Amino acid sequence: MALESSPEAPQPLGRVVQAVKGWVERCNAIWVEAQIIEIKRRAGATQFLVFRDLRAETSATVSCSSRVLDAAGPLSEGTTVTALIRPTVWSKNSSLTFECSEVRPSGEGRLLAQLEQRKRLLQAEGLFDPRRKKPLPFLPRGIGLITGANSAAERDVLTNIHLRWPSAQVVVRNALVQGPNAAEDVMLAIAELDAQPHVEVIIIARGGGSLEDLLPFSDEGVVRAVARAAAPVISAIGHEPDSPILDLVADLRASTPTDAAKRVVPDVSEETERISSARQRIWQALSIRLNREQEWLNQTRSRPVLSEPTASFDAHGERIGELRRRLALAIDHRLTAETQSLTNDLNRVRSMSPKATLDRGYAILVDGANASVKSVHDVDGGEDLIAHLADGHLVLETREIHPRNPMEDTE
Amino acid sequence: MTTTNQPDIPYEQARDELLDVVRKLESGGVPLADSMALWERGEKLATICQQWLDGAKQKVAQARGPVTQS
Repeated sequence: MALESSPEAPQPLGRVVQAVKGWVERCNAIWVEAQIIEIKRRAGATQFLVFRDLRAETSATVSCSSRVLDAAGPLSEGTTVTALIRPTVWSKNSSLTFECSEVRPSGEGRLLAQLEQRKRLLQAEGLFDPRRKKPLPFLPRGIGLITGANSAAERDVLTNIHLRWPSAQVVVRNALVQGPNAAEDVMLAIAELDAQPHVEVIIIARGGGSLEDLLPFSDEGVVRAVARAAAPVISAIGHEPDSPILDLVADLRASTPTDAAKRVVPDVSEETERISSARQRIWQALSIRLNREQEWLNQTRSRPVLSEPTASFDAHGERIGELRRRLALAIDHRLTAETQSLTNDLNRVRSMSPKATLDRGYAILVDGANASVKSVHDVDGGEDLIAHLADGHLVLETREIHPRNPMEDTE
Repeated sequence: MTTTNQPDIPYEQARDELLDVVRKLESGGVPLADSMALWERGEKLATICQQWLDGAKQKVAQARGPVTQS
């Protein structure tokens, strides 16, 4: 294209941009290899991504239809892709973008996408459900260990386990930990260890490696084997950023083989300390209880009713004594009263006795029938009367009768 | 030393009955003959309680002994 221009006869910008656009868009579509460094899903038919060269600093804005993007499968930032793109210039701002008509993950990207898909499938089956995770036994009788032969991982695990719990029993089953046969070997190892009844926990450990190296630990068969295993499984694969699918299905994910060793057995000195102090507390509690009971018993025994039982008998004794006194007193009173009464009666009787009368010089007159003579009318003239005196009696003859009252006639 | 000479009734039972006996005696409303019987029973119960406590202390001392020595 030849456009004449000079400072005196400039071309309109728009025409220049259009010309460039026309020239650029004569390029055919071309397959490129790139890494997605930005992917923002938005509503609408057109999606925008940013690609970058795998090694160089060059990046490009890419647009593609939602249909094309969806057809590519799960894509995320960092995925390596191969894409069919053709350049295009936006007239409005003369920016260069590429239209993508096909895109697919490639190389590592394809691998990652596959893994992502597998992960989602297994997750949907519920294999990663936290409720499926089994708790680790506090002190396992036997610990299964799957590692590469003579590997640093094996050494790390064994050393740290025996540091913490010297008498721990570890069953080591070396296996291939990378390569095409590793997955099958690891599956076999898991089954073998799980079949041993005294193996109560299984550790699968290997050091770091590339995505390809760690592939066996994202193998579907291995994952299912772990899900099936009766014993809990600890995954200690690679380093922190690595995340094989094994990590998700394992009952515990340890960050390193050493970490796995620390989680699988308790520390013997810590436990000894704990038991010792628990013992102390038991003795303490027992002592306090026993002392309290002994104290109570001592006090109860020293209560008067037990320590001086006769005290209560004394109470009875006193009561008896009291009654006795009252009895004696009562008898005394009675006797005194009776005596008094008797004496009184005696005095009365005695005072009524005629003897005293006779002693005073009186005579008692009785007639022949021994009836006492009280009145002059009781006596006939010439009758014999007997006069009793103190010292004897006289027989008298009545010579005259003189009533005191002359009105009364005697004959 | 190993034969356990355990009293007939459990500790708590003896203790509760002892407390009951003491309360009755202290209340004073008991006939004389019963007072004597109660006192005898109280003594027996106190002895049983003490037997339990002595036995427990001995067991603790025995179990503890070897540990404190090591």
